[in-house]
Amino acid sequence: MKKIIIHSFTGALLFFSLAHSAFSETTVYSIRVDGLACPYCAYGIEKKLNKLKGVKFIDMNLDKGIVTVEAYDKKLEDPQLKQLFQDSGFTYRSKQEKVK
Amino acid sequence: MHPKSKHSIKAVAFALFSSLTALPALAHDPVFGLGPHVLFKGGVEISPEIHTDKAGNNDTTELGLSLTYGITGDWAAGIEIPYIDKSNAAGSSSGQGDLTLFTKYRFWREDGPGVQQSMAVAFKLKTNTGDNDVSTNTTDGILGLTYGYEGRKWYRWSALRYRFNDKNNAGLQRGNKILFDLVGGIRLKQTGYKEPDTVWLIELNGESTQNTELNGVEQINSGGTEWFVSPGIFWTKRNFAIKAGMQIPVASNLNGNQQKTDYRAKLILEWHL
Repeated sequence: MKKIIIHSFTGALLFFSLAHSAFSETTVYSIRVDGLACPYCAYGIEKKLNKLKGVKFIDMNLDKGIVTVEAYDKKLEDPQLKQLFQDSGFTYRSKQEKVK
Repeated sequence: MHPKSKHSIKAVAFALFSSLTALPALAHDPVFGLGPHVLFKGGVEISPEIHTDKAGNNDTTELGLSLTYGITGDWAAGIEIPYIDKSNAAGSSSGQGDLTLFTKYRFWREDGPGVQQSMAVAFKLKTNTGDNDVSTNTTDGILGLTYGYEGRKWYRWSALRYRFNDKNNAGLQRGNKILFDLVGGIRLKQTGYKEPDTVWLIELNGESTQNTELNGVEQINSGGTEWFVSPGIFWTKRNFAIKAGMQIPVASNLNGNQQKTDYRAKLILEWHL
């Protein structure tokens, strides 16, 4: 009986962890932003992105005007990004996403 | 001389040697001039600074602490608390200076790849709240308009400010002032976001002051024009900045007998939180 309980518990754990992996994903967003001239002024972008649940700021390429973030189980939409960059003092142009 | 008269002469002398009030610089703004930078929405800027001014026997050192809040991505407001130490031929004095409130609104912004151009209006209200010995004992206002271009390599700004001075209880009306700034900057090495970044600045600052009036009588030894060339540096790392600069007088046309400015220097630390 004890063995049956242990096997059932282990099986359930395995099922839930596999199911979680199957439904969750990490997306890398390359976001094109205009107005990125200086690193100090761009700090607000990092701060605002890190405030989003499931989003992690990775880096900013000022010369190319690209902000890179990782989003875990989260979809970043254009209106949200437009507002975020507007509040940071910059202009959102477009994004490219790649599932990791 | 009656001690009270002596005190009021000293107060007038200090008031004539007006306080080092300028609109606070935000982020990548010039050190002495005004730029259109604001702060991200919800952001807080903490900025202690030291400003010193020497003109003949007149020495002023001002320690200030500014707190700025980003109301929107284009509008910021804040408060500045100064501590002033002054000395001149009449003696020396120190104490809490006049508290100031300021706001800046960026009404135009044009963003391109690695480039930002913008224009802003700014207003500062200097309240009559400081210790008597270092206060001008007036409520004054400064209105400013500025344009800025920021690129990955080059920077340029221009600004015009007008300072309205009130009359104090002793009947002293300091002359209103026009300030004009032309500034250029260069980033010699384009660094990455997480690396330290340095921008070198050169400013041309002009100041034209009207004559002071005492009980309606124009003071001949007041007012005039001064021009400064001001080299400066802006060093940053992520959310921390150090700005420093020195104003060197290059031309002056002061009315009557006045002490010309020898130099002015400023050091500002800034944190964006």
